[in-house]
Amino acid sequence: MMSPTATSFSRRRLLGGAAGLAAAAFLTGCGGPAAARDAGPPRRGGVLRVGVTGGGASDTLDPHSPATNPDIARTLSLYEPLLHWDDAYTLQPAVAEAVRPEPGARAWTATIRAGITFHDGRPVTPDDVVATFARITDPDDPKSGASQFGILDRVVVAGDRQVRFELTEPSPVFDQYLAEYSCGIVPADFDVSRPVGTGAFRFESFTAGQQSAFVRHDGYWRPGQPHLDRLELINFAEDDARINALLSGQVDAIDQVPLSLTEVVGSYESVRLLTSETGSWLPFTMRVDVAPFDDVRVRQALRLIAGRDEMLNQVLSGLGARAVDLYARYDPQYLAPQREQDLERARDLLSAAGRPNLALELVTSPIQAGTVEAAQVFATQARAAGVEIGLRRVDTSTFFSDQYLQWEFAQSFWNTRNYLPQASSSSMPDSPFNETHWEDAEYQAVVRRARSELDPAVRARLVRQAQQIEFDRGGYLIWGFPDRVDAHQAYVGGLVPNRTGLSLSGYEFRKAWVNA
Amino acid sequence: MNLLTKLILRRLAVSVLVLLVVSLLIFAATLLLPGDPARAILGQQATPERVAALTEQLGLDRPAWERYLSWLGGVLTGDLGYSAATQGPVAELLGGRVTASALLLVLTAVISTPVALALGTWAAVRRATRTDSALSGASLVLAALPEFVIGVLLVVLFATSVVRILPSVTIARPGEPVWARPEQLVLPVLTLALVVVPYVIRMTRATLSESLDAGFVEMARLKGLPERTVLFRHAVPHTIGPVAQVIALQLAWLAGGVVVVEFLFRYPGIGQALIDAVANRDVQVVQAITLIIAAFYVLVNLAADVAGILADPRIRHSGGMSA
Repeated sequence: MMSPTATSFSRRRLLGGAAGLAAAAFLTGCGGPAAARDAGPPRRGGVLRVGVTGGGASDTLDPHSPATNPDIARTLSLYEPLLHWDDAYTLQPAVAEAVRPEPGARAWTATIRAGITFHDGRPVTPDDVVATFARITDPDDPKSGASQFGILDRVVVAGDRQVRFELTEPSPVFDQYLAEYSCGIVPADFDVSRPVGTGAFRFESFTAGQQSAFVRHDGYWRPGQPHLDRLELINFAEDDARINALLSGQVDAIDQVPLSLTEVVGSYESVRLLTSETGSWLPFTMRVDVAPFDDVRVRQALRLIAGRDEMLNQVLSGLGARAVDLYARYDPQYLAPQREQDLERARDLLSAAGRPNLALELVTSPIQAGTVEAAQVFATQARAAGVEIGLRRVDTSTFFSDQYLQWEFAQSFWNTRNYLPQASSSSMPDSPFNETHWEDAEYQAVVRRARSELDPAVRARLVRQAQQIEFDRGGYLIWGFPDRVDAHQAYVGGLVPNRTGLSLSGYEFRKAWVNA
Repeated sequence: MNLLTKLILRRLAVSVLVLLVVSLLIFAATLLLPGDPARAILGQQATPERVAALTEQLGLDRPAWERYLSWLGGVLTGDLGYSAATQGPVAELLGGRVTASALLLVLTAVISTPVALALGTWAAVRRATRTDSALSGASLVLAALPEFVIGVLLVVLFATSVVRILPSVTIARPGEPVWARPEQLVLPVLTLALVVVPYVIRMTRATLSESLDAGFVEMARLKGLPERTVLFRHAVPHTIGPVAQVIALQLAWLAGGVVVVEFLFRYPGIGQALIDAVANRDVQVVQAITLIIAAFYVLVNLAADVAGILADPRIRHSGGMSA
């Protein structure tokens, strides 16, 4: 008699949501405005209401510890780092008009942009920059970006508009760390309850788990931006609710359309899809310090089992690019390697390794769209090679519990990064997120040399060499670079494809306008 | 003390005992949640030092029995604890949400109960006719559909595709109560009502049909009373007990079922907060919400039992006589 209360959302939600939206596609001709209003040329004014995935009671306005998508969207709206990654993933000036290495790259000097001001009207000073990095690296309360500033010794005032970063070792790519969105510059007297930054929008209101409202920063340094009067970021824990909000006109843009639903959502005349190629990557992680993954033949066998094109089509609905066990696809030194599925050779390698009937447990969790589905497809492919993979599905909190970084065979998710910063984050023994526990002496030596090598040509060769080693022996099985697909009303303009892996034009709503 | 009072007091005592047992189960269940709350809150950026500091701050290093008694004592004095995720009192986080969910439940009950009773009565009176078949068939279909599917279909019909006259989700400005935009309440309430109505229809129809076949109704008819009088003065009162029970069960189910509907419609109630709290391993919020839902369940069943007792003339009369 009693209807059962749902104990799990995934299957029901998928069936219900897909069925509902399929019905929507069938009925789409019956409704909707006769002609969708287009965005037209840039225009000043208006409100943009953005539906953002995730978030909850633990949402924060802290510019240096953004943990969820809404946090990141807020951070990118309110604050800016010294440098910034543009839509093509190249470094551009931001709060600093220039950041240059001193000879030997053991120190870098940043020159603050002339005339740039915080939301409260005060100019950005060297003291603010010094205080910002002190806040990020505070040993009593280290922020998200602290781990990548291990080599930062001191930040000192070096002139009216100059700040000097003194390092413990040479770092030719130190500027890349300064461009992370979690390094926004804040005033020396910054208080998170009164958030002040240099971003295109300034703070108006914030309710954790619900929404934030920001208004135009009239003193913003980029001429003509932001176009909007007001930005509202609205949290959506649930995919269907977010899509429904867009289709019913309650929001103007949404991030992360599930890839399997892009065709349905895109069929609405009033909606525009925004598809971005990204350098985000979805690895399976194999711990190389435990059996059977401690045998390189087993690792290579599993890499040979992966049918990457099939995974792209089934998991991402074709929206992505194949990856072949290397990350950093936008690094100028990216190897663009080749490796085809070869079940025969995989079986031979496993036999040679003494494991002809390998059985594994793969820990999977919906940490990102597509991870669970990828695990399912891979397990099916493995069966064809005589490898039995049992899936152990856990929720995201369990995944990131104290077992995170200890799982023997699991998955992960990373946004776009160039090779050396990424290797420093995930492939070196001192990396904060060495998921595969890889400790290859030759690799370490090459990366350490590359990290401090000043000659661009030599460094380039070292980066390629490091990639080759990782390709031959590493613990990452990387099958794809997923596209990011977002959607917005036809009357919203200015949102463009962005390679960083962040949604909706890199969550840079300063570019957006509404024709409403 | 008469029988009536004695029966009610016994039910009340059982209710309190049930709530106490439930509180123990809730506390034990939150202890069994996999994963460390401190790590869940810190996410990928957890370091051993920060985890240790947060663990101490949250009091998670104290023995379980001490934490249970501390929590129970707090609940009895109106202190629901401290939310690790918001870094503030649980009561502060839940205050507006309890009100919002209560509004959803009240509106659903107010709309669905009379509709269901009316339709059930109509089906009983029109028994074995085409009307009865249609009503029974429709309620069977609706009963078989999960609330999520009903919700999605309503969104397709009224918000996104066929016609666009209703909002598909709840979006409130900060500080704005959910009733400030009543149009945003329509779809969630309608979804819940459509889930609940079929059961009450079917129970009302079955119980009333049984009454209409009973001897005392036949006697009323033989006395030449008008059919309306037979129906409303003799047959309907007989159904109060069982129908009150099923209404209570449905309302109690709503307290749990509201989780799914709040999720789909982004309704800022306790259902959404519960999902969020579980994901954050915010155990004190989980405990508070679960206890509130359990208390509601127990209270509604208590009310149904009392209604059943009061509606039973045998108990009422014998109680009077023994006084």
